[in-house]
Amino acid sequence: MVDAARHPNIEILSYSELLRLDGYIGNFRAEIVRKPRYVIASNCTGCGECAEACPIEVPNAFDVDIAPRKAIDVPHAQAVPLIYAIDMDNCIQCYQCVTACGERDAIDFSQEPEIINLDVGAIVTATGFDVFDPQVIPEYGYSHYPNVITAMELERLANSAGPTIGRLVRPSDGKPPESLALVLCVGSRDKRYNEYCSGFCCMYSIKNAILLKQANPEMDITIFYMDIRTPSKGYEEFYNRARAAGIRFVRGRPAQITEDPTTHNLFIEAEDQELGEVIELETEMAVLASAAIPSEGTDELASQLTLSRSPSGFFMEYHPKLRPVDSPTDGIFLAGAAQGPKDIPASVAQASAAASRAARVLSSATWEIEPIIAEVDPKVCISAQGKKCGICATACPYGAIIVEPGQPAVVTQAKCHGCGGCVAECPHNAITQHHFTDPQLAAELEALLDDKPEEKILVFMCNWCSYGGADNAGSSHFEYTSASRGLRVMCSARMDQDFILEAFRRGAGMVLVSGCHPQDCHYITGQQVAAQRFDRIPRTLERAGINPERFRVEWISAAEGEKYARVLNEMQVKLDSLDPEVLREENRTAEPSLTSRLKRWKLVPEMAAILEATKS
Amino acid sequence: MIKSTAFDKSFPKEVMAEPGGEQLVVCSSCGTCAAACVVRQQNPEYNPRRILRMAALGLREKVLSSEEIWQCSACDDCYPRCPKGIHISEVMGAIRQIAIREGYTRPGATAQVNVNRCVACGMCAAACPYEAIKLEEIMIRRSPKRVAQVDPNLCAGCGICNAVCPSGSISLEGYTDREVHDVLLEAMPPDWSGRLLVIICNWSLHAGSDITFAENPPEGVQVIRVSCSGRVTPTFVTTAFDRGAEGVLVVGCDEEECHYREGSRIASGRLQVLGSLLDMMGVDAARVRFTRLTSLDRGKLPTMAQEQQAQLSELGPLDWKGTGGRS
Repeated sequence: MVDAARHPNIEILSYSELLRLDGYIGNFRAEIVRKPRYVIASNCTGCGECAEACPIEVPNAFDVDIAPRKAIDVPHAQAVPLIYAIDMDNCIQCYQCVTACGERDAIDFSQEPEIINLDVGAIVTATGFDVFDPQVIPEYGYSHYPNVITAMELERLANSAGPTIGRLVRPSDGKPPESLALVLCVGSRDKRYNEYCSGFCCMYSIKNAILLKQANPEMDITIFYMDIRTPSKGYEEFYNRARAAGIRFVRGRPAQITEDPTTHNLFIEAEDQELGEVIELETEMAVLASAAIPSEGTDELASQLTLSRSPSGFFMEYHPKLRPVDSPTDGIFLAGAAQGPKDIPASVAQASAAASRAARVLSSATWEIEPIIAEVDPKVCISAQGKKCGICATACPYGAIIVEPGQPAVVTQAKCHGCGGCVAECPHNAITQHHFTDPQLAAELEALLDDKPEEKILVFMCNWCSYGGADNAGSSHFEYTSASRGLRVMCSARMDQDFILEAFRRGAGMVLVSGCHPQDCHYITGQQVAAQRFDRIPRTLERAGINPERFRVEWISAAEGEKYARVLNEMQVKLDSLDPEVLREENRTAEPSLTSRLKRWKLVPEMAAILEATKS
Repeated sequence: MIKSTAFDKSFPKEVMAEPGGEQLVVCSSCGTCAAACVVRQQNPEYNPRRILRMAALGLREKVLSSEEIWQCSACDDCYPRCPKGIHISEVMGAIRQIAIREGYTRPGATAQVNVNRCVACGMCAAACPYEAIKLEEIMIRRSPKRVAQVDPNLCAGCGICNAVCPSGSISLEGYTDREVHDVLLEAMPPDWSGRLLVIICNWSLHAGSDITFAENPPEGVQVIRVSCSGRVTPTFVTTAFDRGAEGVLVVGCDEEECHYREGSRIASGRLQVLGSLLDMMGVDAARVRFTRLTSLDRGKLPTMAQEQQAQLSELGPLDWKGTGGRS
């Protein structure tokens, strides 16, 4: 941090928050608020005399609230920059700090929040994680029993700069414990709280156990675990060292911690699975390795930066294997535990990767984007005619479309990822997607349903998931019906209702629309836009006189070849159960209604010819 | 539930202070040893991993009073497989040493010496894989005599000493010469018309089909079991010939897998010598065959017996003049 602070090209804006972000890759504009410290940074020498003079003591968050700090303080001794700040929520304005500061004259009670506008080319999100509060787990008695503490509290108690100068003591009586138990997976790998593995608790618990054992070889240390996860370089060796040092490992998750009210010793009940019996262990202290959870404000930041979040709540990367440090928004990168729990080596590696990805943006004069972007026809867009619309902007997962009243919608090309959601949503067909234009897709439909359409199952597939699922079904040699005909678009959001109606108008036997599972969507919220649209389709079909059972929606991931084959075979069974004559009759009756519903589509250049061409 | 008072937290340290017990706490309970254990195949209750776990947790009384700690025969089938490199039989030995000091003794059959017949030749002491036998001077009818003495806590009960003793003065309980001969005679009554006797080591029987074969041998074949192939003496063979058998198949373990460390190797050597003696007597050495049923040869016992039967058919009827009733 000190190196970063000294670097000529690095400016640290601490005690600041992002208010708003506009722009796109290479051209972001960030509006940042710098909160008032009530201390003039250039005058403060970090001597700390103000803090000594301050009469107010409040819990110190850095020490997990187990030690006090003053109302004027630095977050911790190694803070960068080393500038004191007044905590106005607790300051009584006695001005003793002003007196203590004296000639340096660094205290300034008149400071106001300052708004800073910054033009930046790339952004790295490294907002870290928070720690799960184990109070909500009733069986462990955290906050009821004084000697049940969290690993973070242990970390401060065992730290030589901590409140006890590195002397580990029991909160109940201030005596150093002779025995101690560490409980792993507290709030993680637990469906009740957080399903994921926090990743680094095994290692830091083993580290703590070894440190305590080194400080007091006689200390009786037990680690309760479900699995010990030591997958990185040198970790397993470290774990073996802990076992050889005589630290007791019990495979079994404690079901209950109880306390002896006189001694405040704890009784931990767990099944020792290696023994096959439940044991009760008496220990003087218990340390809970709490889960790592997404940091406070992750949600807010996600909406400011147009980031998506994994089911666990951490920021989602663009691709788990191929683009692990990129966010779905170009020019914004992820580093460290903000993307998912990870330890220091992994965080450093990811941070270096994110920095170099960002540098790639900064050093480029131009930026290549996908050619499949959307484009608005300003003549057709009704916003230009002063009407209220903006449906496209709502559908866009990237905030790439700006709709100003009286002006046609504008697509920021650098922000557009080419999902095609806006194209499908636009009620006036004013937007087109390059390489996936309506006439192109309609021509594909025409070719696919050219011969005996009533025997065909038309499948709309999204490029990233269900197309991959179909590919997987093929390469895995899963047999599925030969009556299927696939049409690939980038995202299920591009699957316009018009295409589905057009497929039935052309007499398709069955239609399947498929895309990613909600949490897998390549285009953040494209699947959600599509799902809402598809929900309405069965009713529309019914009104037009088409049996809605001929239409199906399925979310199929790229790994679900088996599901793809199964769904298609089920649809074939369904199709076989329908009388072909009834089907043809249904299509004939529905045709006028479907044609009338596609009326507006004719306004799209070239579409009229296509719609007309196959009328026979 | 095991209460916290049952744990003696100093016990693991006690075991680790004992020679051989140093690696006790390194065990991560993967269970490889239990899966490899030959004793466990015969006695499903036995589990070396569990014993180590109990010791590491400090269940002192439970471990020391357990009969299981005595069942390990130090065959070391587990040791080369242990991913933590723990010499499990050594740890077990360390636990036993503590048990012996606490006054516990090994249960089960051990070798017994008839001090009146023993001539202190020392062959048993040299053959014992466990160094359980020593020649010591004791008082017999007020006069000193140098005889073999067995330490029951070290004796694993293989019976190798019994087989090598030239004076018939050391015998393994349950497999004494008399007991084995009674079994042989019962298996091959005077009216027995079979041709092949199979003598099989208790520990080489792993697979179900092999066990079925041993329990219900086919027509013309009889099977007897011994504690170890190292327990087999030439007289078992001659008794079989006396009873009309035309050939004998001795089945032992793989040398590396021998439950009693040396038994299989000793048996192989001994039967080779017997072969040359038979040759001198005009009996084809191929009539007596020693074979190994390794853990990789599961289910091959019936085939091995068939091959030996085919060999006997080729050799034709045995012209056996008997041993003059010595056996």
